[in-house]
Amino acid sequence: MSVDIARKNLFHDRTRFLITVVGVTFSVVLIFAQVGIYLGFIENASIIIDNTDAEIWITSKSSANFDFPLAFDERRLAKVKEVPGVADADYLILTWLSMRLADGGSEAVELIGFNPHTGVGGPWQLVEGSVQALKAGHGLIVDESAFPKLGALRVGDLVEVDETRLRVVGISRGVRGFTTAPYVFTSLRTAREVDPRFRDRTVFIVARVVPGHDPSQVAERLRALPYLDVHTRDEYSLKTRLYWTLQTGLGVGFALTALMAVVVGTVVVAQTIYTATIEHLREFGTLKAIGATNRMVYGIIVEQAVINAVVGYAAGLLITLLAVHSSSLTGVVMVVRPPVMLAVFIVAVAMCLGAAVISVRKALQVDPVMVFRA
Amino acid sequence: MTTIEATALTKVYREATTDVVAVRDASLATAAGEIVAVMGPSGSGKTTLLSMLGCILRPTTGTVTIDGQRVWDSDERDLPRLRRRYVGFIFQSFNLFPALTAAENVEVVLNLKGLDGRAARREAGRLLERVGLAPRLDFRPRDLSGGEKQRVSIARALAGDPPLILADEPTANLDASNGEQVMRLLREAAAQGRSVVIVTHDHRVAPWVDRTVLLEDGRLVA
Ligand SMILES: Nc1ncnc2c1ncn2[C@@H]1O[C@H](COP(=O)(O)OP(=O)(O)OP(=O)(O)O)[C@@H](O)[C@H]1O
Ligand SMILES: [Mg+2]
Repeated sequence: MSVDIARKNLFHDRTRFLITVVGVTFSVVLIFAQVGIYLGFIENASIIIDNTDAEIWITSKSSANFDFPLAFDERRLAKVKEVPGVADADYLILTWLSMRLADGGSEAVELIGFNPHTGVGGPWQLVEGSVQALKAGHGLIVDESAFPKLGALRVGDLVEVDETRLRVVGISRGVRGFTTAPYVFTSLRTAREVDPRFRDRTVFIVARVVPGHDPSQVAERLRALPYLDVHTRDEYSLKTRLYWTLQTGLGVGFALTALMAVVVGTVVVAQTIYTATIEHLREFGTLKAIGATNRMVYGIIVEQAVINAVVGYAAGLLITLLAVHSSSLTGVVMVVRPPVMLAVFIVAVAMCLGAAVISVRKALQVDPVMVFRA
Repeated sequence: MTTIEATALTKVYREATTDVVAVRDASLATAAGEIVAVMGPSGSGKTTLLSMLGCILRPTTGTVTIDGQRVWDSDERDLPRLRRRYVGFIFQSFNLFPALTAAENVEVVLNLKGLDGRAARREAGRLLERVGLAPRLDFRPRDLSGGEKQRVSIARALAGDPPLILADEPTANLDASNGEQVMRLLREAAAQGRSVVIVTHDHRVAPWVDRTVLLEDGRLVA
C-alpha cells in the first residue's frame, strides 16, 4: 500500500466531492429512468411474441409489426407444416375491435384468436378461469392490467365485442400491451365469428420447430414459400420493438433525454475536476519535480474520475432501485436489469473519464519549474 | 561519490520581443559533503541555475553531468528517473501536499522511489524524527508552523537518500532560529556525504556553508 494522494486530495475537499458525486448521481438516475421506462414500454410491445411457445412467426409480406399486421390466405398453413423441421403450426388472429363497456361507453381492444387446444398465442398466466373454457365458444379472457380501461371484470361477466356477446371465462396476468388498446383473448373460432373478415384468412402462422433443429435454419427453408415473411421469434420481437422505437419518435425522445443527462453530467463533473486540478497545479508540479512521471500524474486524475463515477453510480443505482420499487406500486414499469446496470456503469465511468480529459491535459502541461516560483 | 558538474551553462528565455539571458556561461562543480551557497541579487538567475542543476530545466547550451552521465543528452523521458535517483528539492514555500499528513508527505516520495507499505511508513517516521518532528507525524501542513513545514520538506528531500540536495531560499520564510535549525539539518545532510546547493539572499547562512558563489546578471563572478 502506498499513499493514495488521488483519494486523499479528492476527499480533502468534501464539498466539491459532494457536488461532483451529485452530478454523476443525477445523470445516472436520469439515464436509468430513460432506459428503464423505455424498456418497460418496448418490452410490452413484443410481450406476446416473447411469451408464445413458437420459434417462428410467419406474416404477410411487409406487415409492419405485431399490432398492425395484414391478413393472408389460411391455406398456407398446410404448406408450412410440410417444411422439414416444422413440428407443428397454428393460426393466430389479431384484430382491432371495440368493446362495449358496462357504463355504456366503448373501448378499442386488440382481439387475439388462438387455438385453445394448443394454447399457442394465448395468455401464459391466468389468475382466474381457464384457457380450456374457450373451447366451448363465445368465451373471452381479459388481462387484469386492462381493468382500469375495461372495468374490473370477473369470470362469468357478459361483454359485447363488435355486437357479439361473449362471456368472460378467464383473467390473465402480465399481458400489458404497448398500444392503448388492451389485448383480449378468445378462441380462433369465436374470433372468426366476431370478425368474419378472417373466416378464411389468418394474420399469423406460428410454428414450433422439431426439438434439436435450429429455428433460423428452419425459417430459412420457410422463406422459399411465396408471399410471406418468415421471422424467428427473436427477429420478430426485434422488428416489432424497432418499429415502435423508430416510427413513433419514442426512441428519439428517450435517447435525447438520456443523452442530455450524459452531457449535463459530463459538464458538471468536468467543471469540478477542472477547478480542482487548477487548484492543485502546484502539487502536480511538485510531484513532477520530485520525479513523478506523466503517467503517475494523469493516473491521479483518472483515479479521481473513477472514484467519482463509482460513488455517483452507486448512489444513482440505489435511488433508481428505490424508485423502481415504489413505481412498481404505482404501475409504471421501469426495467433495471444487470445488463442495463452494467451499461449505465460503463457510461458513468466513460462520462467521468471524458470529463477529466481537459484536466489531464492541463496537469500534463505543468512545467515543474513552476515550483520554484513563490 | 556522486558529483554534479555544470559546465558552461547558459539559459536564454525567448520572449516575444526580447531574449532574456538568465544564466550565462556558468560552470560549477560540487563535491560530496559540501554546501555551496549561490547568492546574488533578485533576477540574477539563481533559480534558473538551480532548475538546470536539478534536471528540470533544459539549458540552452552547456552540460550538466551527474555521476559521469550527461543529463540532457539522454531521452527526456528519463529525467523523472534521474530526479528520483539523485535529487532532493527544498522549496522556499515548502510545497507540501496539504491533504496529506507530515508522515504521508514523506511517504509519498518514498513510494515514488519504490519503497512501499509499512517499510515506507517506518522510514518516513525515522526521517521526521531526525528533523525533530516525531510528535507531529499525523499533523497536516495547515497545522504546522513555518519552521516545522520546512523541516518536513527537508525530511521529504532526504527521503530515498539522494546524493544531491537543492534548496531554493530555504530560510527566506523563517525567523532566525528556525532558519538556523534548517541550516543545521542541511549541514548534517552534507556531513552524511551529500552535496548541498542552496540559493539564497540570506547572509545569515554564511557561517554554515563551505563555499559561496555569486551570480550577477547571470554570470558567476566568484
Ligand atoms: N520562464 C521565464 N520566462 C522568461 N523569463 C524568465 C523566466 N524565468 C525567469 N526569467 C527571467 O530570468 C531572470 C532570472 O530569473 P531567476 O528567477 O532565475 O532569478 P533569481 O535570481 O532566482 O531571482 P529571485 O532572487 O528574485 O528569485 C529574470 O530576469 C527573470 O525575469
Ligand atoms: Mg529565485
